[in-house]
Amino acid sequence: MIDLKNVTFSYDNKMIINNLSLNIKKGDKIGIMGESGSGKSTLLKLLAGLYRAESGTVTVDGETEPEAISRKVSVVMQSPMLLPLSIYDNITMGHKYPDSQVERVVKMARLSNWIETLPDGLNTYLGDRADELSGGQAQRIAIARAMCKDSEVLLLDEPASALDSENSKSVLEAIMDYAADKTVVHVTHQAQHLEGYTRIYSLRDGELI
Amino acid sequence: MSVLAKLLKRNRLCVTVAVFIAIIANLSQMIYIVHIGELVNRIENREKVTSSLVIILACFLISNVLTVYLKHYSGRYAAEKMAHSLRMGFIEQLLCKQRKKAVPGSADDAGSVMSKVQNELSRADEYLSTTFFDITDMLLTCVLVFVFLIFRNTLLTLVIFVPTVLILFYVKWSSRKLSGIVSSALKEKEKMNRVSYSLVHAFPAVKIYNADEMCISTYKNSLENWGKHEADMEKLNALYNSLSGFLSRVPMLLLITIGGFMVIKGNIMLGTLIVFLNMQSSLTNSIMNLPSWISGFKVFTTNLDKLKI
Repeated sequence: MIDLKNVTFSYDNKMIINNLSLNIKKGDKIGIMGESGSGKSTLLKLLAGLYRAESGTVTVDGETEPEAISRKVSVVMQSPMLLPLSIYDNITMGHKYPDSQVERVVKMARLSNWIETLPDGLNTYLGDRADELSGGQAQRIAIARAMCKDSEVLLLDEPASALDSENSKSVLEAIMDYAADKTVVHVTHQAQHLEGYTRIYSLRDGELI
Repeated sequence: MSVLAKLLKRNRLCVTVAVFIAIIANLSQMIYIVHIGELVNRIENREKVTSSLVIILACFLISNVLTVYLKHYSGRYAAEKMAHSLRMGFIEQLLCKQRKKAVPGSADDAGSVMSKVQNELSRADEYLSTTFFDITDMLLTCVLVFVFLIFRNTLLTLVIFVPTVLILFYVKWSSRKLSGIVSSALKEKEKMNRVSYSLVHAFPAVKIYNADEMCISTYKNSLENWGKHEADMEKLNALYNSLSGFLSRVPMLLLITIGGFMVIKGNIMLGTLIVFLNMQSSLTNSIMNLPSWISGFKVFTTNLDKLKI
């Protein structure tokens, strides 16, 4: 499903990823740990097609071009990256999905109870209310967005690091319930977030250990 | 207000002198204009223009120039003295308080207090130095001119005064109407900025979720909305401003028309009309600027009162 062969990436003349190779099979849950600045997020961005490797190849679901890779993956970042649009648009990102699918992901992301309390429900405009959202609510919208795209590959970049322990647990549970049959790569510096993962690596000096 | 009263009290000598000179300067100008009117009346009546009248006029002209210079000098001096008293008084008060109880790093220490009120201090200081005496002078001029004109000819004074007050209400009404549309245009602009900022911030999400089209249409919509609001605002602005520009000429037009008829009918002399034509702008400008002065003065006294520590 995911194959990295001798991938190298540097930024500002600093080697971030050094000749890294990794093979991930369909349905695997891979955890990657590392200190801040160790290159975890860069690795995830390479897997998401947001960066192009300097050398080596990144293959995700048969695609090697970053643009094509981006279309094959769903990503939940540390920041929810919400747009000043309605909750619905933030989940669907302008694509037409059946209402039943949107309702399902809203439920899976544990947003239903909160959305029911909003006068405009899913059509609530976030532009003026973005600051009123809690970190948990915002991150759940980002998760619902990833679920709605329903890619085979789910990439997680510390999706719960900015949340309190209760919210963090609930957000991670929501992700794992959904991603039972997906290929997951989760980068984090918190070991407790990687319980039940197939393999856990540590990224140090641009290399996986 | 109590801070302003304290400042006036502390600088009462230079303030009194400045106000006194401002009154003298205004009176001198009025007397000069009255003499010009007198000269016109003599010419109209084909009376002889004596050399003494010309000399008196020249004297008033010179005294007028001198008193205006003195007025500006004493006004600026008094304003600067008051601004200095404000700065020194504030620091004095701050240091006394600091000596008595404040602990360094606490909310009461000089650094914390200064950082809280430095904007208020600089704004009040600037207002005192640049605006306070100009407004005092204009108000004095307005009152003196009004009293002078009403005793000279009540009808002509009302011909200037009543339309000016009506125009004032119109300006107030139109600015209230405009402020609504200005704030909605600003809101749209803020919305558009927020959209462009979030598109940059959320670029990875836009790329991963292939949301380019939605983002472009969102940006276009917000740009169009802002453009529409801006165009509406400018249209309304142009309409109200051109109308108020025309209306501001109404007192002068009425004065020329009614005053002209009165001169033709022989009710007043041409010199009297010339006096009114010369003085009407002092009255109308002061009245029309009243709302902005009042709001500026309110901001100033609020800033001053925040300096009470």
